[in-house]
Amino acid sequence: MNDQTIAADLVRALQRPDGDLDLRPVHTMGIGMSGHFIASNVAPDFCTAAHFQGEKIPITGRFSNGSGSATERDDWSDVRGMAIRFHLTDGSATDLLGMTLPAFFAPTAETALAFIRASPAIPYERENAWAKILDYLRMTIPKRNPYPNETLSPDEGGFDFANQHRYAQLPVFGAATIGAPTGYTRADYHAVHTFVITSPEGVRRYVRFTWQPISGVQPRKLTKEPDNNYLHNELKDRLAGDGEAKFSLMMQIGETGDDYNDCTRPWPPHRIRVLMGTLTLDHVAEDQAADCEDLSFNPGLLTKGIEPSDDPILAARRDAYEISSEWRKAARCPFAKD
Amino acid sequence: MANEEGWFDRYVDSLPERGWFKFLSKNVVLPYWAIKNPAPKLPGGPRETQQNSENVQRMMNLVMPLKDSSSIGRAKAALAIAQNVDEIFAGLDNVGTVHFARFLILGDNLCMISVYDGDFSNYIRDFIITIGSVFDDVMTVVEGGDELIPTAHNVERFIDWVHAHDLFQAPDYPTDVFELLDEARGLSKDTPPHDLKTLPRELILLLHANPDLSLGGGYRAYPGYSAAQVRSKFGVGW
Repeated sequence: MNDQTIAADLVRALQRPDGDLDLRPVHTMGIGMSGHFIASNVAPDFCTAAHFQGEKIPITGRFSNGSGSATERDDWSDVRGMAIRFHLTDGSATDLLGMTLPAFFAPTAETALAFIRASPAIPYERENAWAKILDYLRMTIPKRNPYPNETLSPDEGGFDFANQHRYAQLPVFGAATIGAPTGYTRADYHAVHTFVITSPEGVRRYVRFTWQPISGVQPRKLTKEPDNNYLHNELKDRLAGDGEAKFSLMMQIGETGDDYNDCTRPWPPHRIRVLMGTLTLDHVAEDQAADCEDLSFNPGLLTKGIEPSDDPILAARRDAYEISSEWRKAARCPFAKD
Repeated sequence: MANEEGWFDRYVDSLPERGWFKFLSKNVVLPYWAIKNPAPKLPGGPRETQQNSENVQRMMNLVMPLKDSSSIGRAKAALAIAQNVDEIFAGLDNVGTVHFARFLILGDNLCMISVYDGDFSNYIRDFIITIGSVFDDVMTVVEGGDELIPTAHNVERFIDWVHAHDLFQAPDYPTDVFELLDEARGLSKDTPPHDLKTLPRELILLLHANPDLSLGGGYRAYPGYSAAQVRSKFGVGW
């Protein structure tokens, strides 16, 4: 199977019956925003890329809920996403896409396809009370209760897949227990993949990026009343007038022995980290269709000074995002072929 | 409808918070599983690694049961430390790989909590060379300590003793509990993956066998350099 075929299969497999073919197949519901990024004073020592030289770089971005459902369900436990596009001074751009989960579900395009196919959104039913009692007696996790109005979920297939594939255990467990943040700007976003950066001296380093909110990470209390639509309003309120939200861009430096090409495995938290810059968000996009939903972000859109690692998922995402963008008739993907 | 919640569903959902069910879980369910699938006692301290960043700012959580846990015994322990303050300061400076060390009396234990760089055994060896006399005094007030005095003559046994009293450090990622317990139980890495639903049970059994432990390998604040790097950067080192 060639790269384009498997990328098309990935996008097709992600489409849910409660999704919308005119929208993204995952991270379907989102909100656009803009602001700027300023690199830290040490960033140029590590990377020659244009946005790490200290100038004020305008950005556009999009926060999203991970689900492929076309209905906003903010208070459901779900992975959230943050896509940032840096608009460089020469007119080009580079993207950095992150999610609240620190690991991806599968290490290759083929295994990712197997995972997605094994975990379709299927009718979600409450676990029988007697089966739950049995779970308690076995000291195992009972199946969570359906959320109000939840009819479809990929959870069951995801758990079954993880029980057969060790690499999927951490991300599946993480996704099942991740909860919801109090706001899109109150969560960490991990770029998950390894990138290769080059310093002015030509030193190449294998690194991973994480956006860290300066106002702190804050999960929503499970006891709060259900509220399907609070994240967009929270962001609008936060950025209204002179309001801002800031993130630190933290960079982990890989060491010998780290797997640079396996995004199912986060590196140990003790790796050396470098503060590469500060992102300031100050506006919600006024035209959400044009300045958010129609945009085509792509984790493969890099710039001189940053290269992709050999992570097969990073390559597969580049192709899958391109196909998804084309199928939903979004703005031209940076990798679209003539 | 399967998804409609009845009174019995609500009652079953509330079971983990009900007194009688907590009693049952603690006194019947847990002991049953602890016998059926016991977790082993796990070794203390950070796990061995060759990677540089894992050898920086490592934690030692040494918990030493007091021979005499009465107020008089505690006073003796406090005195053993207080009488050696100069030795401790000088020793820490000379070892050069320690970020900080502190002594606590906690419950019936004298605890030494420290953060150090590099290999554990070398750290203890360096300590014995520089402040062996302090450890000798500490050994007089803790259980099993007398046999190790003078520590300078029982270095390897003392290292083993410290290792055994250093708290087990739980893994940073939850699903790593499976791997760690499999390894300790002597199971091959090729064994099929565990059912994810059993993770709470494995964690509970791990805590049953290792009631005192460190949750993770410590949360290192930015930027997290070694004592030697800091000395070098500020030009105050040797």
